[in-house]
Amino acid sequence: MIKQLSVFVQNEIGSLAGVTSVLKDNNINLRAIASFDTPEFAILRIVVDQPEKAKSLLSEHGFAVKMSEAVAVELIDKPGALDGMLHVIADAGLGVNYIYSIVVREGKVPLMIINTEDLPKTAAVLREKGYTVAEQEDIKS
Amino acid sequence: MIWNETKECMSRDELHNLQSARLKKMVSRVYHNVEFYRKKMQQMGIEPGDIKDIDDLVKLPFTTKNDLRENYPFGLFAVPQSEVVRIHASSGTTGKATVVGYTRRDIEIWQECVARVLAMDGVGPQDKIQVAYGYGLFTGGLGLHYGAETIGATVVPMSTGNTQRLITMMEDFGATAIACTPSYLLHIAETLEEAGKIDNIKLKAAICGAEPWTDNMRKEIEEKLHLKAYDIYGLSEILGPGVAADCEYHTGLHVYEDHFVPEIIHPETLEPCKEGEVGELVFTTITKEALPLLRYRTKDLTSISYDKCECGRTLARISRFKGRSDDMLIIRGVNVFPSQVEAALLELGETSPHYLLIVDRINNLDYLEVQVEVEERFFSDEIKELENLTKKISHVLHSALGLSVKVKLVEPKTIARSEGKAKRVIDKRKLI
Ligand SMILES: [Zn+2]
Repeated sequence: MIKQLSVFVQNEIGSLAGVTSVLKDNNINLRAIASFDTPEFAILRIVVDQPEKAKSLLSEHGFAVKMSEAVAVELIDKPGALDGMLHVIADAGLGVNYIYSIVVREGKVPLMIINTEDLPKTAAVLREKGYTVAEQEDIKS
Repeated sequence: MIWNETKECMSRDELHNLQSARLKKMVSRVYHNVEFYRKKMQQMGIEPGDIKDIDDLVKLPFTTKNDLRENYPFGLFAVPQSEVVRIHASSGTTGKATVVGYTRRDIEIWQECVARVLAMDGVGPQDKIQVAYGYGLFTGGLGLHYGAETIGATVVPMSTGNTQRLITMMEDFGATAIACTPSYLLHIAETLEEAGKIDNIKLKAAICGAEPWTDNMRKEIEEKLHLKAYDIYGLSEILGPGVAADCEYHTGLHVYEDHFVPEIIHPETLEPCKEGEVGELVFTTITKEALPLLRYRTKDLTSISYDKCECGRTLARISRFKGRSDDMLIIRGVNVFPSQVEAALLELGETSPHYLLIVDRINNLDYLEVQVEVEERFFSDEIKELENLTKKISHVLHSALGLSVKVKLVEPKTIARSEGKAKRVIDKRKLI
């Protein structure tokens, strides 16, 4: 299980940059970013190397931030890999709320970040089928 | 205690006669001594002789704050400078200060009015009162000061700014009353709580005013400090503190009608409102010498009741203020006060109470957008939840305003805050 931050941002020019510049100014490395939009606002989900520090910094800068957990799974680069993984989750009777990916991993395979209604169960069924579920330490560097 | 039973409990008929006699004199005085009023009355085709009764008040011209500014500093004074013994001024947020003046008699009436308030609040010669309103050009400090001396209380002129010293003296002197703004009193209460000193103090009455506050705030102050808190209202243009105040029944503020005649008007049509109907409060001073004002528009929204109060006073009562008429918006024919939005948001309790109203006109139809700040402790990272929140806010605002509203969630602390009155409304319709 890894930690992700969700940040409320308005759908306006510069609002994403407002978040990233706080991170950059404090040497926090962004590992993954995904924006989930509505016409008026967006929820920005990010995975960083120092989630606690990033949360308090963003809160101090006036952002509404929430820290939560998500399952991160290594995805081997071969056709149908994502399909297979999603089937494992679906077969376990779990619904996926959202999914996004970490690509930048210095030579390691990409990670998929998944949120479902039952995170521990999701991690367990994936491990059972031989998938590698990453922990927070795995995305530090 | 009732300080001046003759005046505070006189029959409505007697009061009517007293007001009529005083108004007649006053109108004749302003007509002859103040060019501004003479010209206005001439334009309207009225002469002092047309005013025979207090009911003729409606024939007279209105006065606004802008009239005071345009006649800065002494243009509306009705007496020679040699008769003016005191000047006060309120800082204007825009432009010049509003300057007011008093003759010796005006000061005496002011003292009398504040004495009535303090007696109503149970303060007397046995009391030690800390006056923690600002002293100086602001009317609060000196207004309370002289009134408290008039009833024979021991006055401690604290002024504002040093809470520690105020608390030390409150303890050491055994102060039994305090006059200050309600928000400052809450701050004092919190400071006392933190220091564990709340049981050391002997306050029994608080005379609070100079800013709007709610009945809930009064109860909070009373519970925290184990005292009785009272509301005092005033504005420097009319007098300063002591124009009206509430009694122990807290069913509105008694207006000292033998000196200040209240009217409630519709802020747009300027027609009189019915008893109990909310409108803009207007005052005519009928005894003021230095700066008598005809039908001064306070911009404060309230309603009035002429029923006799349980306390025995026959003086009319104005209700707690509902807002400022400056802030009133008419959207699709519906009167909207920003304070209604704030109240609805506070009641819902799932966002910050900071909001911005944006009114626009698209294809000849008015639209109201309400921006509300997302607060971190209520922030859900599910889009669904945020959309539900938006719907919930739209729903409560629709029922509070009687108008459909587009709600937009915005990031925390992005709505401008200013000290005192924040800019709450952007009316784009005026730009067209
Ligand atoms: Zn009463």
